[in-house]
Amino acid sequence: MNTDSLDTSRLMRNQFKLRFAKCELIDLTPSSVSSDLEFRNWILRQPEGKTLRRCYQCGRCTGACPIAEIDQSFNPRLFLEKVILADESLAENQLIWTCLTCEQCEVRCPEHVKIPQILILAKVRGLVAGNTPQTALDRARTILSEGRTIQVSDPMLKTRDKMGLPSLGSPPVKQLAEALKDLGLVEKLENIESIYGGDRDE
Amino acid sequence: MSKAIEYTYFPGCMIPFRLPHFELTMREVLRRLNIELIADEGHTCCPEPTTFTGVDYEAWLTVGARNIAVSESTGRDTMALCSGCFHTLSMVRYTLQSDNETRERLNKRLKRIGMIATGEVAVKNILHVLHEDVGLERIRKSIVQPLKNLSIAAHYGCHLVRPIEATHMDDAEDPMWMEDLIEVTGAKPVDYPDKMACCGAPISPSDESKSFVLAGEKLLKIRDAGADAIVLVCPTCYTQMEMQQKKAIEHLDPEFSLPILYLGEMMALAMGMSDLVVENARRYHRVKIQPLLEKMGVGK
Repeated sequence: MNTDSLDTSRLMRNQFKLRFAKCELIDLTPSSVSSDLEFRNWILRQPEGKTLRRCYQCGRCTGACPIAEIDQSFNPRLFLEKVILADESLAENQLIWTCLTCEQCEVRCPEHVKIPQILILAKVRGLVAGNTPQTALDRARTILSEGRTIQVSDPMLKTRDKMGLPSLGSPPVKQLAEALKDLGLVEKLENIESIYGGDRDE
Repeated sequence: MSKAIEYTYFPGCMIPFRLPHFELTMREVLRRLNIELIADEGHTCCPEPTTFTGVDYEAWLTVGARNIAVSESTGRDTMALCSGCFHTLSMVRYTLQSDNETRERLNKRLKRIGMIATGEVAVKNILHVLHEDVGLERIRKSIVQPLKNLSIAAHYGCHLVRPIEATHMDDAEDPMWMEDLIEVTGAKPVDYPDKMACCGAPISPSDESKSFVLAGEKLLKIRDAGADAIVLVCPTCYTQMEMQQKKAIEHLDPEFSLPILYLGEMMALAMGMSDLVVENARRYHRVKIQPLLEKMGVGK
């Protein structure tokens, strides 16, 4: 038996347990789960996603999460369960963007599952559907066009000069574009609009 | 004096252009400790780890690897003042070191622009440089104006510290390096509940009100523990807890006011460079730091 099939059988066992565990947080009728094995398998292939194979749904992540404490609908354990159950609706759920990436869940996880990274993968997956805050799209566009997250203005440069701080030049954006060209990010960003907006940068 | 020790300075975006008093004060503090920061114009945005990762994780790794390659070409250790930059660079460096497949994939892209990233050169934050490389004893010798009457709470922020295997900090739940530095300046470090609690800033693009709930709770806990001020490293935490302090807390306490110092400002005050801090206080501090200066006996 190779490791892959071992892991698969462990996963199936986990799913079986989940299905029969007393679970009030998720309705397991087939109609509520948009099963997408490709989504689950993609996540499990990523180096960070592989750690999900160790999750036994103990819920310490949710107990540790500062957002779960103020919003009960934000439930990292449930998010992981959705990935395990191949429920891609997670990637189109705006809630995942209220993950702080503070990593408190991962610090407390007995299996060191890379929970914030797994949510990041789900966010990436949601980009095509527009499940990305407007600010995140704006920042990404500025990073690609300016090489920085912000537009540098003349007064900013003057202030640095007055303070005696060295010039930082202009970032080599053409080189950046060349390194990234096979990813098609520029094209994606040209076509995508955020479906829910969100709060803008101050 | 012997030749200065040099680090490649990774500037990022927030500190050099929005909060340049961070860079100004820390450069002067480091000069007193015989350290020079050398910028390289080849660096770009790190890219920031809180939203760009969720747009395109592979692009995040690639741009990060390119920045690592620029750093490695300088032959010096790299130091990032910004916690977001430090987090990205140390995460990408960790990936380059620990994941052969990803390293090869990223280097295929870098090869197109004539670069290579190995992950072999160190990426440090300011606490590594001050606490580990310089050491507390040497810093102690440069303190000329001890901050005797002040009680100061350290706010580390998440991305400076976690994940510990990539950041090489002292502890993921109870780091102490900043408290050691507070003590060396002559101030009293203040312990408070949930020290590693997040400032809330990363989610302001998706839910600003929740982000302020977290900031407000944190500020209250620190004040209730008896701190005169908070010292921190991260420009994003600073924007959240200093620049937007009023917005974060006015619903809880309209009179609330807790001064926030950047680590470089605290050290500069203790090294006798209060002019440098005072000159820039009005422009870059919305919360008055005057009460602190009076308490430590520095002019009005």
